[in-house]
Amino acid sequence: MSNQHKDVGDVAVDVPRLEIDSILGLNGKVHGGMKVHPNRQHLIYPLGCAVVIEDISTNKQESLWGHTDYVTCIGVSNSGKYIASGQRTHMGFKAEVIIWDYEKRKAIHALTLHKVKVEAVAFSPNDLYLATLGGKDDGSVVIWNVATGESICGHPAQVESAGNTLCLAFSNVNDNVFVTGGDGTLRVWELDLENRKIRPKEVTMGQIKRVITCIEMADDFETETGNPPFFFCGTTTGDVLAINMKTKLFQFLGPEKDKLSLGVTSLALLKTGEFLLGAGDGTLALAKFIKPAEQIKKATPSMKIIKKWKDPENKNRASAITSIALRGIGHQFFVVTDNSQLYKFNFAEFSCELIKTCHSTTVHDVCFPYGASELIATCQYEEIRIWELKGKKELRRLKVQNMTCSAIEITRDGKKIVSAWNDGIIRVHGFDSKSNIVERITGGIRNAHTKGVTAVACTGGKGTEDFRIISGGGEGLVRIWTVSQVYNGKGEMIYKDTLVETLKEHKGAVSCIKVKKNDKECVSSSLDGTCIIWDLVKNCRSQIVFANTLFHCVCYSHDECQIITSGTDRKISYWETYDGSMIRDVEGAKTGAINAMDLSNDGRYFVTGGDDKLLKVWDYNEATVKAVGIGHSGNITRVKICPNQKFIVSISEDGAVILWKYNF
Amino acid sequence: MDEGTIYNLIPTEPVKKEKKPRYNSKFHQSVKEEYTSNNADHKTMGQAKVPVPATENFLKKHEKEPKLPNKDEFHYPDEKRRRPPVPKKDDMPLMGLKTTKNFITTNAVQTITSVPRKPEKIYVDTRKGDKHYLDPSGLEPLYIHRKDYGNTPEYLTKRKEEIKRAQEEYNAYVAEHFRKGSMQQLSEEERQFMLAGLKKNWEEIHDQYQGLSVVTDTAPKKNRKERMEAEMKQLERDIESIEKHKIIYIAN
Repeated sequence: MSNQHKDVGDVAVDVPRLEIDSILGLNGKVHGGMKVHPNRQHLIYPLGCAVVIEDISTNKQESLWGHTDYVTCIGVSNSGKYIASGQRTHMGFKAEVIIWDYEKRKAIHALTLHKVKVEAVAFSPNDLYLATLGGKDDGSVVIWNVATGESICGHPAQVESAGNTLCLAFSNVNDNVFVTGGDGTLRVWELDLENRKIRPKEVTMGQIKRVITCIEMADDFETETGNPPFFFCGTTTGDVLAINMKTKLFQFLGPEKDKLSLGVTSLALLKTGEFLLGAGDGTLALAKFIKPAEQIKKATPSMKIIKKWKDPENKNRASAITSIALRGIGHQFFVVTDNSQLYKFNFAEFSCELIKTCHSTTVHDVCFPYGASELIATCQYEEIRIWELKGKKELRRLKVQNMTCSAIEITRDGKKIVSAWNDGIIRVHGFDSKSNIVERITGGIRNAHTKGVTAVACTGGKGTEDFRIISGGGEGLVRIWTVSQVYNGKGEMIYKDTLVETLKEHKGAVSCIKVKKNDKECVSSSLDGTCIIWDLVKNCRSQIVFANTLFHCVCYSHDECQIITSGTDRKISYWETYDGSMIRDVEGAKTGAINAMDLSNDGRYFVTGGDDKLLKVWDYNEATVKAVGIGHSGNITRVKICPNQKFIVSISEDGAVILWKYNF
Repeated sequence: MDEGTIYNLIPTEPVKKEKKPRYNSKFHQSVKEEYTSNNADHKTMGQAKVPVPATENFLKKHEKEPKLPNKDEFHYPDEKRRRPPVPKKDDMPLMGLKTTKNFITTNAVQTITSVPRKPEKIYVDTRKGDKHYLDPSGLEPLYIHRKDYGNTPEYLTKRKEEIKRAQEEYNAYVAEHFRKGSMQQLSEEERQFMLAGLKKNWEEIHDQYQGLSVVTDTAPKKNRKERMEAEMKQLERDIESIEKHKIIYIAN
């Protein structure tokens, strides 16, 4: 994984920076990743390698850069002065924890001790210490001095017979006490600063065996069940345990019956003693422990679930609630689900507003409808989404279970979306009169390619005429299909596909197909190191270009006499389409392969993006970098300039969609 | 098939109906300035102190009636421009002059003898009889009745002549100029004559050369022979050059 700092250093200092208009992205998979800053004005959440600070009212985003791989945990100090974030890294390497100064938005300390992954971080109540928990390859707890950034002491997080430790919470009142919990382990630790030691004490659980996923401290206020100090643990079983902090004894649990399905994945305690429980199936529950009647001896408090909520859109699908962030004391709270959706709740009415729907996995492709800059269509695992760029709102979503869409294309008339899927089916969707997405070819074009469809392009399709689909597959075939309207037996107009030609030239997966404006020629790039220009009239090869690289992207020049290609050799090459000779060869990046490329409508500039996470705007004629966009925290997978040349849209592997201002 | 397009998804902002600005009377300002509410100022309570009329200012007859302005005499606006009235029947003629002309008969005679006026030429293009004058309409053939109709216009013949004259003058000028500047050509006779002369000269020198002694032992002899050879060579070259070129110009 390349280092972000180094990448930025590659770029010449005098090259102007592209300005970010907005970032559509949120990593919902991080447990407890969403935080509300104590000033109640900012959300803090992870996105790929970055930590994003977003203003709740203005939606202005700022990013903290410094991690070299995906951020796995975030902690905010009680005073709001510091933010800590941990990351994962490759096996055998050390994962960093970075302490950030919130006001200056700058890294203060980089703490490197944990191996591979940092599981959780927590600040002590008075910001004196930071406790960090390593992942399963590390399995240790380390206490750091926040002011100096030096480690005080470390200790294995669990006994050898226990499973992994998953969560960490500091006491709300005492700087020297914290709790860790995990698979069959729950420990209360005390810090002995003078001897530089932390001493664990196992909580006595009795017969109960649980995997603890989240811990909420309640040692600073009185709940109705009395007897502070308590702390509460959410478990994968779907219940909440109450533990006495002083005696280290398990006290009671709830709910006894009707446990939350797929476990409690996030937990928030309100000042009223009520709990917000997020479940693995996406259910949000408001619950409370109720004191038993006095007459019954030895009775324990029982949990009563007051309200339950589940996203009606996601009724049949389980997407876990990964974090619940209270704003202030909880009059308003934010809920993040596994599939990167952010909901804003009003506690009093328990009303919910969906404020963000981000991509949860790699975004594979993005495209604009012909001549329209207001909309984009993006695709990821299982989904195709249509976004409105001005309001940053998702308008439509199409789901295909368990399949990945690797490329999409919208026909010239905007009536059909052609998508390439990894099950070897090309699906064609259209819109009904209410603009809902409907399937146009039932079941799609089946068995289009044997190793999945990897690239797709369309020609024609203006008005009622037939349109052609040019598809490329993982096995290297390029196929041409005609889709025409016919009447079925019931006299209804349906679309029917026919295979026109199979072009068998490429030896590796086809990565990109671009069609000439007059629809008579197209070019396909392949991972076998060739780019082929196809004659679409005779349906045969007209030119071939070889290079010692895996081609990832290809583009026609404005006058369509030249093509530009790029790939893993990080070179941008210009070729003549007439005879396939190379015109020019420029180094496009220093550290990572170039994955995406797009030419502006006027043909004067093009943009590239790749594994170095940098977006570069190039002058076509001079082949020099005009501007650099720094902002992606994952490998850039596709880049597009909007048809009216106001924005650049780039997508990346961390699920982010970034809108850049384009002013050339 | 009812098909929508992706473009239908582009959000459209609802068009706000533009409100007309609130009506403001243009007299508003002047009304505001002019209106002074002196009506019934003291209607409810009366004046605070009512001035009592003095005894000498008692109420007089018609004092409360409004005073009207004096009546003006009416005049017609064109009164001064009007002509004097027609004399009455019983008015005396001025200075007793009386005419004997019988106006009735003279008028009748004049009318009878006058040539009737030619009616204006018109054409009518609708049923209702919308008339238009024929003259400016272009429907009447005017130009074919002109005297010079069909002839070449005078200005054209004039111009043609002028062009011709100018061309001739120019040709003459060019010829003159060429003649002045050109090189003289050697005529055929002159050339033959020159050639014959050269050949004769050569033969003369050749005869002399044949007559030289076989042995050239002294320097003068040798000099002479060499000179003659050079002369002959020069002549041969001249002859050759003149023979080769049929046309010869003499540069001046």
